[in-house]
Amino acid sequence: MAFVKKLAFNLFAWGIVLAVAFPLFWMLVTSVKPAFELFRRPPTMLPETWTFEHYLHLIERTNFLTYFRNSVILSTTTTFVVVAIGTLGAYSLVRFRFRGRESLAFMVLFTYLLPSVVLIIPLYLLLVQIGLANNIFSLVIAYTTFALPYALWLLRSFMAGIPEDLESAALVDGASRMGAFVDVILPQLLPGIISTALFTFILSWNEYLYALVLVNSDDARPLTTGVMNMLVSSFNIEWSLLMAASVMMSVPLIIIFAFLQSYLTRGFGAGGVKG
Amino acid sequence: MTASRNAQEAVSHRRHLMARNTGTLLERRYAMLGVMLIAPTVVVFCAVIVYPLLSAIYLSFFSIFTPTLQGDFVGLNNYAELLSTGTFWSSLGTTLIWTVGTLSLQILFGVGMALVLHQNMWFRSLARSLILFPYFISTVVAVLVWKWLFNDLYGIMNHFLISLGIISFPMDYLGTMPNAMISVILVGAWKYFPFVVIAVLARLQTIPDQLYEAAKIDGAGPIARFFDVTLPQLRDVLVVIILLRAIWDFKEFDLIFLLTGGGPLNDTQTLPLLVYQEAFALNDMGNASAYAVMMMLIMLVFMLVYIRRTRSEEET
Repeated sequence: MAFVKKLAFNLFAWGIVLAVAFPLFWMLVTSVKPAFELFRRPPTMLPETWTFEHYLHLIERTNFLTYFRNSVILSTTTTFVVVAIGTLGAYSLVRFRFRGRESLAFMVLFTYLLPSVVLIIPLYLLLVQIGLANNIFSLVIAYTTFALPYALWLLRSFMAGIPEDLESAALVDGASRMGAFVDVILPQLLPGIISTALFTFILSWNEYLYALVLVNSDDARPLTTGVMNMLVSSFNIEWSLLMAASVMMSVPLIIIFAFLQSYLTRGFGAGGVKG
Repeated sequence: MTASRNAQEAVSHRRHLMARNTGTLLERRYAMLGVMLIAPTVVVFCAVIVYPLLSAIYLSFFSIFTPTLQGDFVGLNNYAELLSTGTFWSSLGTTLIWTVGTLSLQILFGVGMALVLHQNMWFRSLARSLILFPYFISTVVAVLVWKWLFNDLYGIMNHFLISLGIISFPMDYLGTMPNAMISVILVGAWKYFPFVVIAVLARLQTIPDQLYEAAKIDGAGPIARFFDVTLPQLRDVLVVIILLRAIWDFKEFDLIFLLTGGGPLNDTQTLPLLVYQEAFALNDMGNASAYAVMMMLIMLVFMLVYIRRTRSEEET
């Protein structure tokens, strides 16, 4: 009886989980079906013939790889810049006393919630003025607007979790403040830094609006706008190709999910969602 | 005698002074270091956030033609116009429908799913990963997949609904109202409810078991236990989640823009889409800035409540 109850609950629970995951399953299935099988009615749940032609097509005959490369450069650069500045900033905000510290913390939180559409018009004008529009680095600058407050906020709460005694002990032993930072704080903060870096990377990888407004040449376009362009510009939409592109676009994410998921869940707790 | 005591006093006094001096010196040096460490942040903040923010407010007093970037000062004209014409108000209404609709679904699904995942189910960590995934994929991917599911001729959604007998003809999910709004709300709920799941799940794991045992001894069934034990314990975290998600849903651009583009006939055009349209399609950056500033003012209420909550939490 207990087993039947357990079985019923598991069937119910897994039914919901699979329903939620179905769109992603369908994306995978569509990407390996030959084109003619897409138009079968009723649709086949699993492909009758498996093919990787769409992936080949994507790599060989579209700009996909350029977009992919741009996205990698863009997201990695943004992550490095933001985490470097953010770690120093968070250390200062948590462990030092100086005038204006409180209002700075307030401003970080405020900008963390600020909508991008407010900033996008002046940023566009600014980047056009200094002649940076239409290249990857204009996007790095633009991405800092949401990534830096986010990273600072995360790192700040990770930093606050490190006991102050550790640092004091190092200082008593004659370490300088920065020496203590490098030898004591950084190793302790490492999981927090990894978590923040992953979040920043994913945020930048997925960003769409700034890329849409600031870049309109294929050389600099990241994946989000690039793939969307493939949808809009093609005459008849090739869904298997688009699904293959979607799968490829999610590869970094799948890797993070497979190996580093605990860092993602840790970031959730630090991001201000505490009861 | 007196002289030596005086000398002693003088020495101790000097020591005392020195100690205070070095103390303040060290403190001052630390404060300097602190300022130096925060300096890059402040510089970047001023350049890419504060300056654009102030300049958005400044721009909203002008009428600017986007391609030439030439503009005239029009004072409060943009604001007067947006408050008197219907576009702003109907867009605000749309934004509220979208926010309230998708947020309530996110909370409902999210709390429900968290309760399920909190139980002992088979392969729980795999189930959790699958649930979490939609939250992290790019909105572009989510939209492409859903557009394919919603496809009128070959989409599997129509196939499911027809074979279940719910509809007898293929449906247009994104091109008519109210279907478009419902679809957008549902896709938004699918994409963002994992956030609620994770946050609630983390809180559920910290509720002490004794509370449930005590309720059981008092004869409370599972439903009573949920309302008497679980829900009060979740209250604080739910308030924070609702505030955060309300802010994020209110300013959502990508999902709606990519799914419907604001259509049909501007019926799903929320405020962020309106700002984009004014600035980059209708080419009036001044007007667009006015819309953006108004939108920010509305959001400010929620933002300040959230910020105040977070700070009071930190102080206690």
